[in-house]
Amino acid sequence: MTITSNTGAEVAKAETIAVTVDGVGIEVPKGTLAIRAAELLGIEIPRFCDHPLLDPVAACRACLIEVEGMPKPQPACAQVLSDGMQIRTQQSSPVAREAQEGVMEFLLLNHPLDCPVCDKGGECPLQNQAMQVGRPTSRFEEDKRTFPKPISVSAQILLDRERCVSCARCTRFAEQIAGDPMLELLERGAKQQVGTATDEPFDSYFSGNTVQICPVGALTSAAYRFRSRPFDLVSVPTTCEHCASGCSLRTDSRRGTITRRLAWEDPAVNEDWNCDKGRFAFTYMAQGRITTPMVREDGALRPASWPEAIAIAARGLAQAGSGAGVLAGGRLTMEDAYGYARFARAVLGTDDIDFRARQSSDEEAQFLAARIAGTPATVTYEALERAPIVLLVSLEPEDESPIIFLRLRKASRRRPATVVAISPVRTRGMDKMAATWLPAAPGAEAGVLDEIMSGGSLAETSMAELRDRLQAPGAVILVGERAADVPGLLSAVARLADATGAGLAWVPRRAGERGALDAGALAGLLPGGRPLTDADARDAVARAWGIDAGSLPTAAGRHGTPLLQAASRGEVAALLVGGIEFADFPDPSLARAAVTATAFVVSLEQRHTEVTELADVVLPVAVVAEKAGTFLTWEGRPRPFGQVLREDLAMSDAGVLSMIAAELGQPSPGDVPALRRELGSLGPWSGARATTPGVPAQAITARAGITLASWRLLLDSGAMQEGEPHLAATARPTVARLSEATASHAGLAPAALVTVSGPRGSVTLPWEPAEMVDDVVWLPLRSPGCGVFADLGQVVGGEVAITPGGAA
Amino acid sequence: MAISEATRGELAELAARYPRPRSAVLPMLHLVQSVEGEVTTDGIHACAEILGITPAEVTAVSTFYTMYKRKPVGTHHIGVCINTMCGLLGGDAVYAALQERLGAGHDQPTADGMFWLERIECQAACTHAPVMTVDWEFMDDVTPASAIDVIDRLERGEVVQSTRGPAIRSFAATERSLAFPDDGLADEGSSVDDKMLAGLRVARERGQAAPAIPSGQEG
Ligand code: SF4
Ligand code: SF4
Ligand code: FES
Ligand code: FES
Repeated sequence: MTITSNTGAEVAKAETIAVTVDGVGIEVPKGTLAIRAAELLGIEIPRFCDHPLLDPVAACRACLIEVEGMPKPQPACAQVLSDGMQIRTQQSSPVAREAQEGVMEFLLLNHPLDCPVCDKGGECPLQNQAMQVGRPTSRFEEDKRTFPKPISVSAQILLDRERCVSCARCTRFAEQIAGDPMLELLERGAKQQVGTATDEPFDSYFSGNTVQICPVGALTSAAYRFRSRPFDLVSVPTTCEHCASGCSLRTDSRRGTITRRLAWEDPAVNEDWNCDKGRFAFTYMAQGRITTPMVREDGALRPASWPEAIAIAARGLAQAGSGAGVLAGGRLTMEDAYGYARFARAVLGTDDIDFRARQSSDEEAQFLAARIAGTPATVTYEALERAPIVLLVSLEPEDESPIIFLRLRKASRRRPATVVAISPVRTRGMDKMAATWLPAAPGAEAGVLDEIMSGGSLAETSMAELRDRLQAPGAVILVGERAADVPGLLSAVARLADATGAGLAWVPRRAGERGALDAGALAGLLPGGRPLTDADARDAVARAWGIDAGSLPTAAGRHGTPLLQAASRGEVAALLVGGIEFADFPDPSLARAAVTATAFVVSLEQRHTEVTELADVVLPVAVVAEKAGTFLTWEGRPRPFGQVLREDLAMSDAGVLSMIAAELGQPSPGDVPALRRELGSLGPWSGARATTPGVPAQAITARAGITLASWRLLLDSGAMQEGEPHLAATARPTVARLSEATASHAGLAPAALVTVSGPRGSVTLPWEPAEMVDDVVWLPLRSPGCGVFADLGQVVGGEVAITPGGAA
Repeated sequence: MAISEATRGELAELAARYPRPRSAVLPMLHLVQSVEGEVTTDGIHACAEILGITPAEVTAVSTFYTMYKRKPVGTHHIGVCINTMCGLLGGDAVYAALQERLGAGHDQPTADGMFWLERIECQAACTHAPVMTVDWEFMDDVTPASAIDVIDRLERGEVVQSTRGPAIRSFAATERSLAFPDDGLADEGSSVDDKMLAGLRVARERGQAAPAIPSGQEG
């Protein structure tokens, strides 16, 4: 599970060279750009097109400097330094200063002077640098070039062409970073402008980054355009709540309302980027909020005071005691998840708890307990970037962990063929990571892993070679949460990691899952990966909680489907439910039946949902912006964040649970510092861990029908994307994908519809041919018009039927 | 218009000629113009699909070069050089006369869609200034009258011989030759004549030569 670090003797010390900047000597690594060397000395050279993470183009010429021995000024952003080079910036060179002033005057020729109505005004590199190095007046007297404004390069991203300085940051980002070159410089020459193909918008998952790096106000988002001035905003560093990539963000608000979110630089995680979901999906926080506690009376919910609602919740839960179950959900902060984990064991005395509101399995729980829970972050983003090979199992990073995708794409630009993906479908995301595709029908993945172990061969890929590559220092296996769909897969993944010595990391989709796991919100697991069945572990936890170890449950409880099944039979006396949606469970009707059949249900929720409708007590809780907390990235890296909104405060889940506990005379921490202190005091677990599951790979029996493959697209029908129509309009269309052979066998006409039917029902949608395993159909798991679990009643790897579905 | 399977096949053939397929985008766009009369959205998509690049990337190329048109060019493309040599020696007058004769402005089609008029840049044919091009074949040493005569004859469907190349065919045919240059017409008409060699002859007579390349800067 550890990565051999690639430093020390293996890597020669980077060669350095001596240069002077404005007469000051400095040693820099060979290959350093002049603009970076100047930065090291605190000398800021003006720039627009330069960006440390984009390849240099020297497009804007703002950074001209004088280089000893060169006849003309050179762009500092593209000037690679060599030993002994002497450069002079505007600080000491009249030539450089004159050149920079000239370029600035030139860039302003056609630039409209509309700073007062421009979104960038107040945080605009052009405005700032024009003040710093520009001349106070322009000699240009002619009419400026104008365009009808603005044009949409996508439903979310708008372009005011007259403001563009043609720096090509946006187009280079699209091509180099995101791998989505749908934004280009068109009409070279006097009419040069940024644009898209006439009928293909810039629907990249990462499009919002272009707004942030545009050095002028040319690119704006429909969501934020004309909403506020930067100097009116209060900015707080935050962590994204949408996925386990764990992006560092900056959340800006004005008078209690979030106005926008930006990617915040963090070289260790998201570098300078984030995805559009994290950037734009925050409006849900203000929609459909529950504003007051509610209790059920005569069959209907009515508003109640906090003391009354807490008292009723406490009474009902105390009555159920160890007969209660807890469904925490995967979107909690680590502190809140810890609150549930602690409340279940210490207050209720139950171990029936699960955070996984999705397809899950006992094998997965055991795998997580054995290999992941409470382990330090060893496989990191940096490790991915350096890895000689990254094997992806049941993980489509572009949809399920976008920053992993960006890191792997970055790695692949230097070293193609680093990534190997086992999947039923060859995706565009794989191509963007220059990945090798190892086809496997849903359910057959474990067999492929065993095949790698035994060094067999599959199609054209040599498994023995793959195995050898996985034995190299720094090799990584990333397994997604979808591996729980396939019996034996997580066992096979662990086996392969052990056999090869490759680093192993588990990548859940939701931001709260890894934190909930480490906080102990899973049956059988106490905080820090401590097995509940271990007496020493129980002792340590009881000490930290200030309770008698004898009061903790000693036998591992039920989780996942068994817990829901028991509840649906009325065998669970009470349910404490965090943020979950029925449609996320592989059997939504079972989840609904579990909540319906349980005599007493307490729901802690932010917004009105199907669960709150059925609950006996509803307690409103804070959205992420209203509280501080911590998310753990998939790596296991803590990402603490502060509170953004400070008015109309709602309480966090842990705060509410602490009130219920207090009502029952069992004080427990409820505020973030206290929760962190207590969790921290437990420290890591060094005792015995659960054993790794050894479920054998299942034999694939030939079936007559079609096998279902599916995962969630990044932008889909998720509840936390509500209220942002511009973002939704950039989502990938809802289409089924099949191989040409499968489609023609089923008699599907090109560009027609297909109907996919499962036990509960069917969906009819357009289809697209794809390079994929035959006799498999891929569907988006929860997109508009296609909810696999709710509409089909089938799970991934299950059998479905396909029929031609009428005319398009 | 949808791109036919036959054209797709030819586009793929062009793509296969290069070690990096996207190098083929220029001839492919010419082929698109030969069948579509312009660079259409369908044509851009066909190129993008075959090359495995995005329509935006193809669009960036097609909007870079003025030889790619975004409106139907019609049967014949008429170019008049208006750069320094030709302009001074009568090109401006030829352009003005054609503009009036055709009723079309720069980079515009005629009302009947038969001709497309364009002011063009130096064709490296300054020895025969002013030059006009018909479907990119040379009409050397034109005058306003001779230029209009060319138009008249084309309109009447007569055979018009270019001064240094094959008989005029059509814009579509030339675009096809630009995609597949091996059209067998390379030797039609003379490419070098006495006027072109005049400068060389005078230089030789006077013993003039270009200065030697300083050592270390060759190649
Ligand atoms: S739109 Fe902005 S980022 Fe893109 S080229 Fe223009 S100025 Fe640069
Ligand atoms: S990649 Fe994940 S963590 Fe980052 S902004 Fe997107 S949803 Fe949020
Ligand atoms: S910053 Fe150097 S040319 Fe643009
Ligand atoms: S100027 Fe017309 S051909 Fe050179």
